[in-house]
Amino acid sequence: MIPSIALLRIENQCWHSPNLWVPLFLLWIPALLLLPLLVLVLAGLSLAGGVSPWRALGGLWDIVSSLPGTHVHVRAEGNTVRVRIL
Amino acid sequence: MNENRRQILEMLAAGKITTDEAERLLAAIEPETATAGGFKGTGGGGGDAKAGSAKTRAKYLRVLVEADEATTGMKGPTTVNVRVPMQLLRAGVRLASLIPAQAHEHLDEALSQHGVPLTLSQIKPENLEELIDHLEDLTVDVDGKEGNATKVRVFCE
Repeated sequence: MIPSIALLRIENQCWHSPNLWVPLFLLWIPALLLLPLLVLVLAGLSLAGGVSPWRALGGLWDIVSSLPGTHVHVRAEGNTVRVRIL
Repeated sequence: MNENRRQILEMLAAGKITTDEAERLLAAIEPETATAGGFKGTGGGGGDAKAGSAKTRAKYLRVLVEADEATTGMKGPTTVNVRVPMQLLRAGVRLASLIPAQAHEHLDEALSQHGVPLTLSQIKPENLEELIDHLEDLTVDVDGKEGNATKVRVFCE
């Protein structure tokens, strides 16, 4: 499943942001338009590195499609950043 | 009884394969059962618990870090809480296996210089699943001593 929404929340001692819903699915529109170019670049790089372009493409796709479920929560110096990928 | 199992038993009955071959084939089509059996055989008191964990596989790797201001030099406590899907780890290791062989030496050298004695060339796609499966049983708890209140927890859930 590809990531569709990222939930972002930033807090500090005197200010709390609301939950920001970042619509990642909108990124797929330019990504699809640029897909032929991206595939060509990736194929070129893979062949230059002596790696099968299909395996490289599959590997990148695996990374992107396994991102949902990732949570990152960092608090330092009273500031908090929370990122959730859905 | 499913179709694959029936076919293997028919081949055994017809004498086309030996009992050992049939056992291997049955184990291959039922990896979950075989794993659970292996745990029961090797485990002591915790055998049942491990068999249970094999059924409900861990989905996420969780890393929790808590450090006080004396350690970080920042105001107030610092906490990091990261949840990474196991699927992402699998994909990452799979992608790492695509690194060209020429680059392995440089990477291994750089990793060992930074205190990570890891040989990337030893991570191969065929033992990837085994590596991730064993990671599911991993729990690391680190507590700082002598005024260092840093805590690190790594576990699967």
